[in-house]
Amino acid sequence: MKIKDKTVIQNLSSNGFGNGTNLANVDVMDGKIVRIRPLHYSEFYTEESLNAWSFDVRGHRFDPKLKSLLPPLSLAYKKRASSPNRVPYPLKRVDWDPDGKRNPQNRGISNYVRISWDEATSIIASEVDRVIQTYGGRAILVQGEGHGETKVISGGHGCQSMMLDCIGPEPGNYTVQARQPDSWEGWYWGAKHVWGCEFHGQQNPQDNVILDAAQNSDAVLFWGADPETTPWGWGGLQPSRLCFWFTDIGLKQIHIAPDVNYTNAVHADRWIPILPNTDAAFQLAIAYVWMTEDLYDKEYVATHVEGFDWFEYYVLGHEDGIPKTPEWAAEKCGVPSYRIKAFARYWGKHAITIAHCNGGGYIRSCFSHEPARLEVCLLGMQGLGKPGVNQFKFIEWVLRDINPVPRSSIYPMFADIFHGWKMSAPRYFFPKTLTPEAITNPPVSWSGHVVCSMPKEDQFLTFVYPGDGPRVHMIWSDTPCWETCWNGGNAYQDAVRDSSIEFYLVQHPWMENDTLLADIILPISTVFETMDVCTDIYNGQFTMVAIEEQAIEPVVESLDDYQAVGEVAKKLEVLGGPYTGLFERYTGGRTPEEDVKYGYERCGAPLDEYPFELFQEQKFICFPTEKDWEEKPVGLQLFYEHPEDFPLNTPTGKLEFYATGLAANYPGDKIRGPVPKWIEEGDGHQERISSERAKKYPYLLMSNHPRWRVHAQHDDIPWTREIRTCKVRGADGYLYEPIWVHPQDAAQLGLVDGDIAELFNERGRVLGGVLVTERIMPGVLYQDHGARTDILEYGVGGLDRGGANNLICPTAPTSKNAPGEVTNGFLVGIKKVDLDELAQKYPEAFARPYCPETGLSAAGRIVEEV
Amino acid sequence: MTKVFLVDLSHCNGCYNCQIVCKDEHCGQDWQPYAAAQPDTGQFWMRLDEKERGQVPWVRVAHTPIFCSHCADPACAAACSSNAFERRDDGLIVLSPQKCTGCRDCLDACPLGVIYFNEQLNIAQKCTGCAHLLDNGWEVPRCVDACAHEVIRYAEESEFGDLLRDAETLPAMDGCGARVYYRNLPRRFMAGSVVDLKADELLIGAEVKARASDGTELTLMTDDLGDFKFDQIAPDMYQLTISAKGFQEHTLTADLRDIDRSLGDIALTSI
Repeated sequence: MKIKDKTVIQNLSSNGFGNGTNLANVDVMDGKIVRIRPLHYSEFYTEESLNAWSFDVRGHRFDPKLKSLLPPLSLAYKKRASSPNRVPYPLKRVDWDPDGKRNPQNRGISNYVRISWDEATSIIASEVDRVIQTYGGRAILVQGEGHGETKVISGGHGCQSMMLDCIGPEPGNYTVQARQPDSWEGWYWGAKHVWGCEFHGQQNPQDNVILDAAQNSDAVLFWGADPETTPWGWGGLQPSRLCFWFTDIGLKQIHIAPDVNYTNAVHADRWIPILPNTDAAFQLAIAYVWMTEDLYDKEYVATHVEGFDWFEYYVLGHEDGIPKTPEWAAEKCGVPSYRIKAFARYWGKHAITIAHCNGGGYIRSCFSHEPARLEVCLLGMQGLGKPGVNQFKFIEWVLRDINPVPRSSIYPMFADIFHGWKMSAPRYFFPKTLTPEAITNPPVSWSGHVVCSMPKEDQFLTFVYPGDGPRVHMIWSDTPCWETCWNGGNAYQDAVRDSSIEFYLVQHPWMENDTLLADIILPISTVFETMDVCTDIYNGQFTMVAIEEQAIEPVVESLDDYQAVGEVAKKLEVLGGPYTGLFERYTGGRTPEEDVKYGYERCGAPLDEYPFELFQEQKFICFPTEKDWEEKPVGLQLFYEHPEDFPLNTPTGKLEFYATGLAANYPGDKIRGPVPKWIEEGDGHQERISSERAKKYPYLLMSNHPRWRVHAQHDDIPWTREIRTCKVRGADGYLYEPIWVHPQDAAQLGLVDGDIAELFNERGRVLGGVLVTERIMPGVLYQDHGARTDILEYGVGGLDRGGANNLICPTAPTSKNAPGEVTNGFLVGIKKVDLDELAQKYPEAFARPYCPETGLSAAGRIVEEV
Repeated sequence: MTKVFLVDLSHCNGCYNCQIVCKDEHCGQDWQPYAAAQPDTGQFWMRLDEKERGQVPWVRVAHTPIFCSHCADPACAAACSSNAFERRDDGLIVLSPQKCTGCRDCLDACPLGVIYFNEQLNIAQKCTGCAHLLDNGWEVPRCVDACAHEVIRYAEESEFGDLLRDAETLPAMDGCGARVYYRNLPRRFMAGSVVDLKADELLIGAEVKARASDGTELTLMTDDLGDFKFDQIAPDMYQLTISAKGFQEHTLTADLRDIDRSLGDIALTSI
């Protein structure tokens, strides 16, 4: 019996940016994908040949495993290729006429007609040229970043920026929507100023910290971290295995969060429920207990900390007359004062390592720089860097060499053939958090280049848009998920429907989210439908490279991102002038097939040992663990032992409880001042449960990185949508995004399991299906972020059926001088809705072709030529 | 030699890989004569059951993979009048899509409810143990291959050795000779903290005695955070006695017959 025709290797990760992971064997039969399964490295290698590492602690061995540890999102991924939501062919909005009326106000509302690739690319080329000639290149806004399928040759996000770089005398003559470190906000805007750790702002270095925690810590503190969810798109289930091993070796796992996330639900020894984004109060009270009960490392503080006296002065209440006692904190954070005291004493007497994925709720809420800084201060008071006292993360292992798992001997990179945006400092840009404001209400100004590769000093630079250049008049996006991933999607909808936006182009595999706001849509291939190469450096096992052969023919009339932009380049070439030779410059004169060899020979693998022919034949190379990996100093051990010789990257070389850089550059900033504090409200945010706004919107909404998606990806997979925590079936048969409600609140609100309710505030309303559960503390509601939009009413004050709560997030950034995003821990009201009433009010939207298994279909937006 | 499944729930993280790869293998893909294609949704030949346990702040989620037990004495086969259930040499029971007449008798007969009906094809369907793969070079079924934690294993009984000694089959399968064994099936827990509200302090080292209905007693001391937790205990009514030096003894009843309990923060009164 035939069970397959061939097997190809694919990386089925969801991170984008050229760094793949989650390598899978994809079996193909009769031109279709029949199965996706783990790749067994043991088909090629032995533990000996890979110098396989292991952790041996208290009689329990942890080994890396010789197969890929795929998450369910990868295993189910073939359903995305065949989704009825694929963009089937190039589309043009029916009432967008480049030679006549453009009707920007109808974006999102009007339907599309089929056009050919030839027509689409001709229109695009003509519009690019028109915008450049009329306004200048900077009138084109590139949205070319964000997470997505991880591709290298076939196009990571940002191919359009590569092509635009080849037009004119100098590269970079366009406006970039600069993407913040959206999952690291508090670390980036706050923690960096205490410990100077670049790149994301979490601890750096993290070498061997996991093994050290296992050997020397009494407990690991999961401060909102969910290693059972957040790393799924970034390397699969190794973090999950580590948590089980922690239990095996008796390492206590304590979770502090408003919700029982998927890690807490399985691994936690203790859960301390805390109101969203009130961690700063809890942290200050811990410091208070330590200061008043002599429970911190004074000697360390004397030699390693700058400005402790400022911090102490504030904590003890000398600055504002309010001692930050456990009783003071209890009222704000919802943790009883007796528990805060007991916990503080426990921490003061035990070695604790803090684990994160990217930081839980408080790292993406308003003023997130404060709890992030406070966490570092607490670690500092307990001797950060000493055995058992560090911070590590369960995700993005090895990104910029920050890596708590054993090192590989080789870290391959396909940077030379990466066709996408390189995340360097853009010449012209505005922050992604300010896109709506920049479009509708220029000028805007802000601090820093904001892209995640920038050092902390960059935050002291001030920028203005549009400055001496033109405003944006065209958007070219391969990242169409602003609405459901950023800070206030309803405001974004208003912005892109502004008459100043003359042309909105989206290239994407699926007809989802912002795609429906576009004037032209180009259908893009999935990873299965194109040839590529990938690295896998994130999995926490070994590093590897692979050739990803094309698995299947394109399911729709698609090209990959790189090809699609190349087709536009060819059309521009016809216009001559600055476009002469554009395609050649864009491709570097190489075909994708030639790129494989070109890229491999520059990826960092020693060619004498790993020749290209081996790569070509085996399609997969796995590199051994570095010899003597365990010899590398643990985390911040060197700073701990010799602070003078191994100073931190702060102005004073010490842990700056008083941030001298902030003091010098933003002397008047009361929200992000030199000393981290509890901030009640300010800089456009009033999101406390005790605030005036809470009278109208009495619940705090918690919204983690989603369980069954990676941000906006994967919302059309039938096999996850039928899982209880993924969707809630309404009486109308529609699958709604779950809203977790504690039984106590549900009883008060008259809500029961399966009810459909709306979350609302002055920014708009989103629907969800009620899931009554003990997994959320009373007074707090929970809904994953990133659901696919299904808009019933556009713009601020609008209504979404899909449950994309980013639509109603605060639009103001983290704080005045920290333009990060705020997408968590904000106030909402909740009430049950009458579906019949809604169906009557929005008959057209409720009649859209919809299939519970996959959601909305692309066909619902396509009409015959009018 | 016949093989069995061993499922160790102590390391199940609830990722649903097992449920999803089963669908990846069978939904929309015909593997006759072993199995006809499974509908895209609604059938769960491998079903991960999810159960929320406890209350704030002591909450856990238990996950249990539920699938055909490939019984030695299968109730489904006994109920089938068309001999559609065939036992293979390796012990797997395959429900023949050719022989099934769609009478549905087996659906009710299966104590686990893991036989599903395909309306379109008018046949009953269930887990095949991925027999079509095992007959074509695979060592284990898809669910076993996709599990990162070796929660689900498939091997000859002798290979499992001592692991089977304290393993059990699902209670619903009593008398069927189920060939899927479980370790660490969830039982009950109760947990709480002991507090002196007057002093605003959690009590560390307080003694918590739990007396079961048969008189047996379990004793714990509250830990550094003032917490106690009795885990993997029998469903029962428990009498708790909490005592600490300088405080009046406190008693309460915990009904664990149907659910797990968070007993919250229990206040003791000083003498």
